[in-house]
Amino acid sequence: METAAVELQIPRQIQVLPTDDHVAAVKSKSRLSMLTCFHAGYFRISLSLCGQALLWKTLIEPTTDAHALRAVVRCLPSAAFLLLWSVAFLTLLALCLLYLVRCVLCFRSVRAEFAHHVGMNYIFAPWISWLLLLQSAPFLRPNTRGYLLLWWLFALPILALDVKVYGQWFTQGKKFLSMVANPTSQITVIGNLVGARAAAEMGWRESAVCMFSLGIAHYLVLFVTLYQRFLGSDSLPSMLRPVFFLFFAAPSMASLAWASISSSFDTCCKMLFFLSLFLFASLVCRPALFKRSMRRFSVAWWAYSFPLSVLALAATEYAQVVKGAVANVLMLILAVLSVVVTLLLMVFTAIRTGDLLPHDDPFILCSFDSNLH
Amino acid sequence: MEQVSAKQIPCEELPSLLQSAAAKEVAGFDSVECGNGGVISQTTQPAAAPKETEAVCSHLPAYNEPQDESKHSYSLSISLPTSPSGFHVLQAKQIGSPRTESTQLPPPAAVQLEQPKQGKFHSQPIPAVSIDGKVATMNGKVPDRRVSGGGESQQRDKRFDSFKTWSGRLERQLSNLRGKPQDLESGESSIIEAEDVPAVDRYFDALEGPELDTLRVSEVSVLPEDKKWPFLLRFPISSFGMCLGVSSQAILWKTLATSPSTSFLHVSITVNLVLWCVSLALMSTVAFVYLLKIIFYFEAVKREYYHPVRVNFFFAPWIACLFLVQGVPPTVAEKPHNALWYALMAPIFCLELKIYGQWMSGGQRRLSKVANPSNHLSIVGNFVGALVGASMGLKEGPIFFFAIGLAHYTVLFVTLYQRLPTNETLPKELHPVFFLFVAAPSVACMAWAAIKGDFDYGSRIAYFIALFLYVSLAVRINFFRGFRFSLAWWAYTFPMTGFSIATIKYSMEVTNALTQTLSVGFSVISTFTVSALFITTIIHAFVLHDLFPNDIPIAITQKRPKFSKFIAHLRSLSSDMEAAISKDSLEI
Repeated sequence: METAAVELQIPRQIQVLPTDDHVAAVKSKSRLSMLTCFHAGYFRISLSLCGQALLWKTLIEPTTDAHALRAVVRCLPSAAFLLLWSVAFLTLLALCLLYLVRCVLCFRSVRAEFAHHVGMNYIFAPWISWLLLLQSAPFLRPNTRGYLLLWWLFALPILALDVKVYGQWFTQGKKFLSMVANPTSQITVIGNLVGARAAAEMGWRESAVCMFSLGIAHYLVLFVTLYQRFLGSDSLPSMLRPVFFLFFAAPSMASLAWASISSSFDTCCKMLFFLSLFLFASLVCRPALFKRSMRRFSVAWWAYSFPLSVLALAATEYAQVVKGAVANVLMLILAVLSVVVTLLLMVFTAIRTGDLLPHDDPFILCSFDSNLH
Repeated sequence: MEQVSAKQIPCEELPSLLQSAAAKEVAGFDSVECGNGGVISQTTQPAAAPKETEAVCSHLPAYNEPQDESKHSYSLSISLPTSPSGFHVLQAKQIGSPRTESTQLPPPAAVQLEQPKQGKFHSQPIPAVSIDGKVATMNGKVPDRRVSGGGESQQRDKRFDSFKTWSGRLERQLSNLRGKPQDLESGESSIIEAEDVPAVDRYFDALEGPELDTLRVSEVSVLPEDKKWPFLLRFPISSFGMCLGVSSQAILWKTLATSPSTSFLHVSITVNLVLWCVSLALMSTVAFVYLLKIIFYFEAVKREYYHPVRVNFFFAPWIACLFLVQGVPPTVAEKPHNALWYALMAPIFCLELKIYGQWMSGGQRRLSKVANPSNHLSIVGNFVGALVGASMGLKEGPIFFFAIGLAHYTVLFVTLYQRLPTNETLPKELHPVFFLFVAAPSVACMAWAAIKGDFDYGSRIAYFIALFLYVSLAVRINFFRGFRFSLAWWAYTFPMTGFSIATIKYSMEVTNALTQTLSVGFSVISTFTVSALFITTIIHAFVLHDLFPNDIPIAITQKRPKFSKFIAHLRSLSSDMEAAISKDSLEI
């Protein structure tokens, strides 16, 4: 996102103002513009926190497996989970409100964001976060009316966005898949799969299968395209390399979704889980890929956490089915890894809030407009 | 002899080699004044005095790296009979600097008319024809020039040092240990360093052909093409293809002997025993020789690893070992140990992490660029591992590798079918390498059957895909013509054999006359192909003596020769001249 401005070639506002009045005016304007500069990439934070909440909920759940490791994991007090869930909820609420303000005040910027090949995928992120929160809600059972209504509320925008984005892939000239494909496109697939899982939890098999097939079909196309890398790595700035972790988030999510649909972790789920495990190993063996993005803290770092949480979730389901030492150790390692990474990110955010806050809007039509007025 | 207009070319384009040689200064070629560190001694100058003492240092301007040499200017001469070996030695001196094609001028009177075995002129620009039309080769004298006083037989040929492990220092150490101290010219040993491996683009630019094994006309080889290289240097990784071919035959004959649907053939299990022993011996031999190559010519192995087609053959040893485990005769071992499977799959796993990761994230080696049918070898390893593991009774491991193989197979299959315009390696004509298309679905079909326990719909779908691909290639058998035999062809027989085995397994499930006929028919075809290939190999090995030709594909230059079109033109001229000379000599 940081270099998106360059890509969009939008002129920046130049501020060289001598007088005090002008300086004050600029300062207030910049505070306002900071509020409106929260682009959709910030929803990575809410995605991560909601993913963590779902992981903790699954880990805390009483299971039939009396394996010692699982007992250790269940030592986590449920109060901690409630705290996490509340934090996730509040963060998501805040981000949504900020984005709403941005929509109201800078709609043209939002439109520009939606037209961007990376930005358009993050529009899915708030709805995914809400669905994850819904699934991890401590007080809402899946068979209640409230759950159903909320599912419809969050799934419909995903479906609408599907029609728009996927349709563009094969019909619209400038936005052909071969042109716009980049690792963040997998967020669209994840959206469908999360919706499918939530529906399956409710018992709505047909909707679940529908959304699942939508996700998987496009995932197949996207997977091939991304591997071919027709355009090379130019499509993604090096600051955004953490989003490569999405490569293993999608098959993990697919594995979880299918497990919910078919009510058991069968061979197909196992294969998807193994694929994501392999992709994870493949990325972890390439630290050089992420070196440039790790130089400075940015909101892109939050992209590390959600895929790890999803992988840990899939590993948990796997360990439940294959009750072996290896599976349990794997589950433990991945769960600990995702928790540690999320905690670290929260600490970094607290320490370096300045780096995290948006100083300028990469889709900067907004301030340009206000300058004219 | 023509001379191109003397171009004044600024010195910074010149390799350091020629830095101090002004055009009119150099009397002979290979001379020390060229600033090459004194390696080429002046003691043994070629016999005939050069007729043109002027524009001797023909050069090609250096590429990117600026040379901080003195500001001499040089003129360019076309007439360049070459002593490629001299050129190559000098090249070896250039550490890190761009490899140029500075061909040194031997005296024009000393004519060079090489007759390369393949009838192609690769590294010789136009040969200078002497007045009386006689040709003489310079080669015999070449090694002497570099050696201070020793005869050729007593000194190692140092031209290949750049490809040796630690640039030949290992070999020198070993010779020292053996009590035969070599002449260590200290200047030389520090100068001969390993060359950097060329980038993948260079492989595509310099080579052509379905296996990227033919040097383009405009390219030259780093090592001398006229001389037979050391055996280890000529031993490619694709030799493991032989092991693949033979060991898969062992499995075929085991299946024929043990499967109920082909029991009417009354095939004896001894055939399997014999073939298995042969393949075991072959595998050990090839592995041992290649191990020697790794020890002594590690740089060459590195270059093979970076070759976009040959890298896939690094999977071949492990796949062949897995075949050996699968085809083990019941008399030798009833049930192999599980640890063997883990031991064999570990290298495959590591190789995969590297190669598939490159597809995903490596800039120069992305799939749309490097995809070629040989990539199937990297995919098939997964399915073979899944098959062998499931046959051994393992549960999760086979599913793991099957999943990875399936995901990446989908990607590769789509890419190859698309025949993207950015993909240069797919041959326009059919080549035996296309048979690798049949490998993955056949083995996947058997692997899935082994995992699931029976030949269900998934296996059948995979089998029918394999059948379709086989038939579409078989009916086009006419177009598989005009290719030079290479050892890699052995690797393309195992898909046929694998498909025959899959057919037998299918006929076990669906037993009727048609399936049994198909099993027998395909088995006969694959056995016949392997036998024919075996005979061809024997002929090439013992009659034609070119089973292991010079391994040109790994000896491409770092950078494209600057006047490559020029060189291509020269070569065509030279071949015309050669034809003219031979016509003349016939007329005389």
